[in-house]
Amino acid sequence: MLDAIDKDLLKAVADLETIPKGAYNIRKNGELLGREISANINIETNAEGNGIIINIKPGTVNESVHIPVIVSQAGLNDVVYNTFIVGEDSDVTIVAGCGIHCGSSKEQGHEGIHEFRIKKNARMKYVEKHVALGDGKGKRSLNPATKVFMEDNSYAEMELSQIGGVDNADRINEAELGPGATLLITERVMTEGDQIANSKSTILLKGEDCKANIISRSVIKGNSVQNFYATLDARAKCFGHIECDAIIMDNGSNETIPSLIAKHPDAEMTHEASIGKIANDQLMKLMSLGLTYDEAVNHILKGFLK
Amino acid sequence: MLELKDLTFSAPDTESKKSDAVKVIIDKFNFTFEKGKFYAITGPNGSGKTTLAKLIMGINKTASGTITLDGKDITGLSITERAKAGIAYSFQNPARFKGTTFRDLLSIAAKTDDEKKLFEIISRVGLCSLDFLDKPVDSKLSGGEIKKVELATTIALNPKFAIYDEPDTGIDLWTIDPMVKLLKREQKEQGTTTLIVSHNKAFLEAADVLLLIREGKIAYQGDLQGALPILNDLSLCNFSDAFKGEYDVRCYR
Repeated sequence: MLDAIDKDLLKAVADLETIPKGAYNIRKNGELLGREISANINIETNAEGNGIIINIKPGTVNESVHIPVIVSQAGLNDVVYNTFIVGEDSDVTIVAGCGIHCGSSKEQGHEGIHEFRIKKNARMKYVEKHVALGDGKGKRSLNPATKVFMEDNSYAEMELSQIGGVDNADRINEAELGPGATLLITERVMTEGDQIANSKSTILLKGEDCKANIISRSVIKGNSVQNFYATLDARAKCFGHIECDAIIMDNGSNETIPSLIAKHPDAEMTHEASIGKIANDQLMKLMSLGLTYDEAVNHILKGFLK
Repeated sequence: MLELKDLTFSAPDTESKKSDAVKVIIDKFNFTFEKGKFYAITGPNGSGKTTLAKLIMGINKTASGTITLDGKDITGLSITERAKAGIAYSFQNPARFKGTTFRDLLSIAAKTDDEKKLFEIISRVGLCSLDFLDKPVDSKLSGGEIKKVELATTIALNPKFAIYDEPDTGIDLWTIDPMVKLLKREQKEQGTTTLIVSHNKAFLEAADVLLLIREGKIAYQGDLQGALPILNDLSLCNFSDAFKGEYDVRCYR
């Protein structure tokens, strides 16, 4: 069922060597490749037929669901709309991600919209990796979008990464936080060559005592371009922080704009942003421990994107 | 063991009106460090102490002169090559990383990620607790904590020649004595030739040989006792000369 390319892609996007245990849904070239549900996690195709609904029962604890997407068919642009309903008091991990294998000169891509409805007191960890492999010269595009709706005292941690191979990426993250909700987004993007990656996050802090923290780490190699825009829009007594760092390696360019909007007098928000080359003192330190210049650069970048 | 011969370092003179003017910071410096001895370098601010230490590590490029380690000319070697040859450098203002932990740095220095061995090194250093291992070496570490990390990674290298640039910066008073004892123990048990750049009396007292540097040259070499008259002289304020004609000029230094 899985060929060698599929296995490579699954390993890259979901750390899976083979078909996962527990609930999963693997989509290959726009079609269902395999699906397994568990007693607490149901997966079904939505009414429109353009995606799936993952329904996690209230109180489901320590379970995970994998929903990787593989695109290896030349010229295919796969579009999906997936909805996750994370039941009250549950604590789950969702591993998503898309791997493109491009072997031709035709364009390939995937546009995945993931909507999360995180119910009261639920906790979710969402891990999403995007990679593109293959020797083909066709343009590889990945345009992910997340929409997160968080109810009272819910918690979501989202790790979003795109490490290599993707020519064009336009990411949109939107979230609405209810009372006491906590959202932590960590985005790690590495671009090279002439790749372009744009990311736009808009977080609405609506409920009292909700918290949001957005961390972005960008490594920009070659002539690539990365732009990062993040907005925290506070409508209640809340806490928010944006931290964005970009390392420019060669002739890349970067625009980083963190934005804070307070529409409530008790909103507390901060941001920090930096763009620059690898700090010389970091290189000196690692070289004084015996690493070569290249080894030191690799170590710094690996840690930065970890 | 480590010989500096006519070592010279100069940098562009930013105060000069001439665009190509250079300022000599280390001036034909000659000295031989003997194996297993404990040296301290002191001197006024701007005298060239750190510059000299960085020349030995290869962080500053030598303008002229030679550096020889165990009979081998290392003047042209890179930082990495000098590290591999057994020279280690503990920075005055250690680098802070994002996403790199103490464990990462210690593993690189010790060339192993075996937790037992890393714990052994931390116990040997003794200044930081074992749970320190997974702390990120970032801006959240205090000045004292990052200096302990710096010290531990230097010791983990088991260097032949260890340079510590102002190791007591940011360290609390109660830790300075254990730190001196640690470096003396490393000198004795590992045979590490140790060079400390410091203004702290505790380190100056501990040294077998004290070097006092002034304007890029050795102004004195010997023990602390012999250096005290010169050090006292250096501590006198000579700013008042610049304020001739002003009333009530006092030195608050």
